[in-house]
Amino acid sequence: MQDKELKAPHIRMRESARSAMLDVVIALLPLYFMAAYFYGMRAVALGAVSAASAVAADMLCVLVSGRLPNLRDLSALVTGLLLPLMLPASIPYYVVITAAVFAIAVVKHPFGGVGQNIFNPAAGGFAFISVCWPSLVFSYPQPMFPLPIAGELTARLAESPAHALMLGAVPTIDTLDLVLGRFAGPMGVTNILVLGTCFIYLLFRKVISWQAPVAFLAAAAATAYFSPRIPASRWESVVFELLSGTLVFAGVFLLGDPVTSPKRGLSRFLYGALAGGATMLFRYCGGFEQAAAFALLLVNSFTLLIDHEAERLFRIVRRGILGFRAYRRSRRIVKKV
Amino acid sequence: MNRPVREFFSSSYPGMLFESSLPREAEELGPENIIRLAELAGIVDERDGEPLYRKLRQAAEQKVQIIVADAIDDEPYVSSQLGPMLKCSEEAAAGLRLAVKAAGAQKPYFAVYKNITDLMNKIPRTLEGITVKRIRGRYPAEFRTTDDFERGTSLAVLGVCSLIHLCRAVRDHRIQSTCFVTVAGNCVANPMNLEASVGMTVAQLLERCGLADDPGRVIVGGPMTGVACRDTEATVISAGTRAVLAFREDTKDRRYQCIGCGKCVECCPENLTPFYINKYIEKGRMEMLDFYEIDRCISCGTCSYVCPAKLDIADNIKAAKAARRKNTTGGAGRCKIKS
Repeated sequence: MQDKELKAPHIRMRESARSAMLDVVIALLPLYFMAAYFYGMRAVALGAVSAASAVAADMLCVLVSGRLPNLRDLSALVTGLLLPLMLPASIPYYVVITAAVFAIAVVKHPFGGVGQNIFNPAAGGFAFISVCWPSLVFSYPQPMFPLPIAGELTARLAESPAHALMLGAVPTIDTLDLVLGRFAGPMGVTNILVLGTCFIYLLFRKVISWQAPVAFLAAAAATAYFSPRIPASRWESVVFELLSGTLVFAGVFLLGDPVTSPKRGLSRFLYGALAGGATMLFRYCGGFEQAAAFALLLVNSFTLLIDHEAERLFRIVRRGILGFRAYRRSRRIVKKV
Repeated sequence: MNRPVREFFSSSYPGMLFESSLPREAEELGPENIIRLAELAGIVDERDGEPLYRKLRQAAEQKVQIIVADAIDDEPYVSSQLGPMLKCSEEAAAGLRLAVKAAGAQKPYFAVYKNITDLMNKIPRTLEGITVKRIRGRYPAEFRTTDDFERGTSLAVLGVCSLIHLCRAVRDHRIQSTCFVTVAGNCVANPMNLEASVGMTVAQLLERCGLADDPGRVIVGGPMTGVACRDTEATVISAGTRAVLAFREDTKDRRYQCIGCGKCVECCPENLTPFYINKYIEKGRMEMLDFYEIDRCISCGTCSYVCPAKLDIADNIKAAKAARRKNTTGGAGRCKIKS
């Protein structure tokens, strides 16, 4: 017998914080595979550089705060892998490194590190570099022309369909290409089929919940349906708005992020809907074509408030709908402990 | 679970009878006499440790309609109520009928936790002519017992093992000197349900079933709510002991931190928010616990079980609740609990 205090319950589920993060990493791998297929090995190199700088920054921050780095904590790796997928494959390495370091050192650690951060680090890093280098972040190479890993990039850069939407024009891409991601866009977020598969995988592994992503996409789709900003049919508007940018990716990987989202199913629903509405508002009125990250940062600040109000609601629910159960339990004649 | 209940008695066992002039036939006994016999036999309900005669008297006074024999082994590994119920079903049914007579109730029921993943054990619809109710769903099932019965009926819930002992007390005038215990865990070579004498040590029980390995953790009680036992030689089993479990354990400290996944909130059977409760306990902000209705917690331990960061949420909440109770009865002021 050892002296360590042994507390009930004595059995624990096998899933750990590490396995949850590992699941996200596994879900990201097919996206990197697609990015490598479209843009060559440069996509993988970008991911590696970003992940390495994020993990290094995380280690440094943990050391500065006077703790020991924990090798089982994979959250920095996830942040590092998420970031480049939202960027064009032609992005210079220093921009990616800046984004990763900013995400870890400014967005995550000042709030207390793992599990304490209020804002999503990946969204924060993306927002930072899209404000600093908008011309680099929002011009994309054509897919199927592999880029060199290092050296001068000679590829012709183009605007993405999201940019056309912003200008009020109908993009000239057919729907199949949109679904398969065969258009100039961020390197890892355009293939909707692969993203959907990742979403289903994460749902079944119970790493993310369905409420926030579904509410997010539904709110965005409803906005696109009822007030289209392009001269096309309502359904075309919905398809283009949902599939042309980072919307689905943000819904699955950024809103699904458990740390910054509210904890209750109901409040997650509200959170997702708010984020969807804010994204569309930023898209319609803002200056950038990819607005999901900004909207997410805005809604993140309401997380605690949403949860607090949901708790208020559930206090009533416990007394009302479930209350009769509690009432009957209290009426049980011979009580058990 | 599929094996018969083995007997494991200490040498002083056979003499445990009491003197009484009451008849040994159930038909000839009145309600008062059955309660009297339960008192003489010193039968204790294994679920809450209360004397059976007190529970029966209370039930008779409050005119309950239904007596439920509780065989809800909802914690994993444990089958110390279900096993005896199925293997000694004749005694259990006779005991239940006696209890119904003693309390003046109308209908007996057995209540069993039916785990959908448990395909090995066939649970009959009726046992000796008494309906078996199945409590379904996930782990904390016992507190849901009353929800499965019709509204407006009053019922008393008695442990199935105490009813078996009640039957023996009436037939043989035997004092309750044994209890039904499950001995299991991944260190136990020969897991089984034992009927063991009260007062034997945990070490004796483990020796009887054989240890395959040196256990890192020995638990008296179920794996979810039981208490870890430090010295197996010095711990004895009592009438309320339901299980002795021995686990080998990975003692590596992994230093996980909360990642705020909200799984504890999803799984809470009382619909509480363990995430915030735990956070406020760690910060020492006890005044917030009222808002999060910590007193509704039933201490089932599910939040700790699912926690991917392996935090001791349930234990923190339990300690905070105990501290609150102390504060309301005695001393004032905030108390701080270390996480």
